[in-house]
Amino acid sequence: MRSDRVRLILSLALLVAAIVAMLLPGGRPAQGLAKLFSRVKLGLDLSGGVRLEYKVEIEQGTENSVSVVDDVWTVLRNRLDSAGYTEAVIRKSFRENNSFITIEIPDATDTTQAEKLVGSTGLLWFGQAIDERSYDPTTNPDDVNLAVRESAQWYPDKDGQNWYLVKKEINNRKDLVLSGPRISQAMPVLDQQGVANYVVSFTLDRAFVDIFKNITKELYVPEQVLNSGTTQYQTAMKKRLAIVLDDKVQFVGFVVSPIEDGKGQIRGNFSFNEAKELAAILRSGALPARLVKNSASLVSPLLGQDVIMQCLYAGIVGTALVMIYMFLFYGVMGLVADIGILYALTVIFGFLSGTGSILTLPGIAGIIFTIGTLVDGNVIIYERIKEEMRAGKTTKTAIELAFSRSFWTLFDANLTTIIAALSLYYFGTGTIKGFAITTIVGILAAMFMNLVFSKVLLDGLSGAIRVRKTGGAEK
Amino acid sequence: MKETKNNAINKQGSKGTSSAIAQPGSGFSSGWNFDFVGKRKYFLTLSAILIVISLISMFTKGFNFGLEFIGGSEIVIETNSSNLKVADVRAKISDIAPEFKNARILQVQAVGQGDKNTFSIVVSPKDEKGALRIYTADEKVELIKKVESAVGGSVVTFNEVSGDAANEMKSLTWKAVVFTLLAMLVYIAIRFKFVFGVGAVLALIHDVIITAGMFSLFGIEMNVSAIAALLTLVGYSVNDTIVVFDRIREFGRRFKGKDITVIVNDSINSTLTRTINTSLTTFFTVLMLLLFATGSIKSFGFGMSIGVVIGTYSSMFIASPVVIRWAKSI
Repeated sequence: MRSDRVRLILSLALLVAAIVAMLLPGGRPAQGLAKLFSRVKLGLDLSGGVRLEYKVEIEQGTENSVSVVDDVWTVLRNRLDSAGYTEAVIRKSFRENNSFITIEIPDATDTTQAEKLVGSTGLLWFGQAIDERSYDPTTNPDDVNLAVRESAQWYPDKDGQNWYLVKKEINNRKDLVLSGPRISQAMPVLDQQGVANYVVSFTLDRAFVDIFKNITKELYVPEQVLNSGTTQYQTAMKKRLAIVLDDKVQFVGFVVSPIEDGKGQIRGNFSFNEAKELAAILRSGALPARLVKNSASLVSPLLGQDVIMQCLYAGIVGTALVMIYMFLFYGVMGLVADIGILYALTVIFGFLSGTGSILTLPGIAGIIFTIGTLVDGNVIIYERIKEEMRAGKTTKTAIELAFSRSFWTLFDANLTTIIAALSLYYFGTGTIKGFAITTIVGILAAMFMNLVFSKVLLDGLSGAIRVRKTGGAEK
Repeated sequence: MKETKNNAINKQGSKGTSSAIAQPGSGFSSGWNFDFVGKRKYFLTLSAILIVISLISMFTKGFNFGLEFIGGSEIVIETNSSNLKVADVRAKISDIAPEFKNARILQVQAVGQGDKNTFSIVVSPKDEKGALRIYTADEKVELIKKVESAVGGSVVTFNEVSGDAANEMKSLTWKAVVFTLLAMLVYIAIRFKFVFGVGAVLALIHDVIITAGMFSLFGIEMNVSAIAALLTLVGYSVNDTIVVFDRIREFGRRFKGKDITVIVNDSINSTLTRTINTSLTTFFTVLMLLLFATGSIKSFGFGMSIGVVIGTYSSMFIASPVVIRWAKSI
């Protein structure tokens, strides 16, 4: 039985590889049995978190749309990193003629901040705020006329509370327009003058230093004017610097000293988080394309745990039923199938741990479904063994014949399920791909278990196999 | 195990050849000897009735499509009051925003969830032009607060799908279904004779229509997991059919010249134990998913539980009779 020795070595090698893959360090912290699964990456639908998918709207005729998507990716990575979402995963995907960006943030419980960071196209410009209202002035004819007279435009602030009349051309000078500046550095710094407040300190890219110098000279208001009240203050109110991102005013304030070297500070009684957010906005730069939200999902981590427990129940009860049934129906051969189920499950989880494939909720459904079909190969082979034995063959010969005759049946039958799963993998989006992966891996593991591992066990146990001579074999 | 020695098929008798495998007509399969083929008219009628019921339900009642296909926003809220009904939830939330008046509310629950009561609320917010829109980040925060205070509980999921994404999902789903069916047809045509391909594909269409019909009839959510179940069912049904066809082919070669109805009937009988065992073990596991799981996976469990039963039935009673009808020889 040299071929059986090869089979045994192969089976054990695969088993050891699977267990090693599961036990390697680097998984989630876990205790006891859960350690075995600690390296399996869980999808957001199981771990809880936020998933956002955006369609990248690339202008028609853009030559290299892939590089545009790459740029979008880089900008988003910077934005999310600087806002503290370092564990966020950003993926590019291309379907048909469209490009998509998917952002997954595990354990996040709120989509708002991430959506704000991502959703803004990031067109940043500096302007001159000349007036403000605490209501929506775009419906008031006087305010609209004022905007036309001043050739300026009303913009809401980011909370939508106040509206500012902002000019793009500082003091109507065409040469003083600062749109889409590159900011090489921006960070929250503890305010040296105030108490426990933060300021945002930033550094402009060298190319923008000169124009920013001229703008700040133009808008410079000495600090004593600010404290004087009176008409001087009224004029000063028309010379405030506005930072506008995506048509929303992020900040309005006085320039208290001309900035010659491109290094400025924005002071505004910020809390640390506000300062951090503003710094992130300044740093993140403009997106080279518009992003349209395609889908979003928020799954609470608690729900994820509930779902895992439900699936665990379903899986354990289902597996137990299958194992009991196989033992009752096939006796010793049933035990071989039962060991085979555990073997194939180990291989599946070993694969998931080793390759870092993501286990999603449909993925678990795939595994549980596979447990049911795992034994199909065993059943086909066992039925064949019984038939051959009833026809008078010895157990050993019956096993050999059954395996060689069942091979193509097994191959055909499993291939059709693999075709269906491949189609789901190719056309599916999001978590459903996880189903395709576990189903395919499960079927391959099942085939290996059926044809290689079970054969060794059956040959080894052939002495104990008994077949009732039912079915009218005796005439 | 059942053992019937004298039935309509058995009359042909045996010539007494000693073959390793059961000989057609000898009543010597794996212990089973039902007259599947002779009774095929009854089964075809039963299938026809099921298909008609399914089609009527699909075209009159329609489907409870999942968010992925209709677009909009889905808020899933977990409450602790076990006696809350869908109507109560509707009354509590209808004033939150105009679109909440027509919200689709489903109770989603599984065995063993105790007194937790979970509801899925699907709304389709519209913009000024009447097109489906997506909530802004701030609106979402507001809505979560409002729904939580109105219903009492905590929002565990907030899903949004834009109209574009829903359309894309529909087109991808069609492509996946068409591709799978074509691939199956091509595969079976290569491996088997054309009539076998026709038989298998007819059985497939039969399975898919009836399973989809049950989704409609019982109002189970037709989501991406349900589609996954339908496609898996396609693979499973073909798998089941192939095992029977393989045996028909084998018996056909071995017993050339025998009446095809005898060969087919004995093939079904000789694979019957396998068919029942595999279907039962698969059924055990997918039924557990239907019983224990919640949310989108429940649809998968439902589709597969129905599908395994229908798929097994069709490979015995639908696929093989078709082969008899059209195949002159094997």
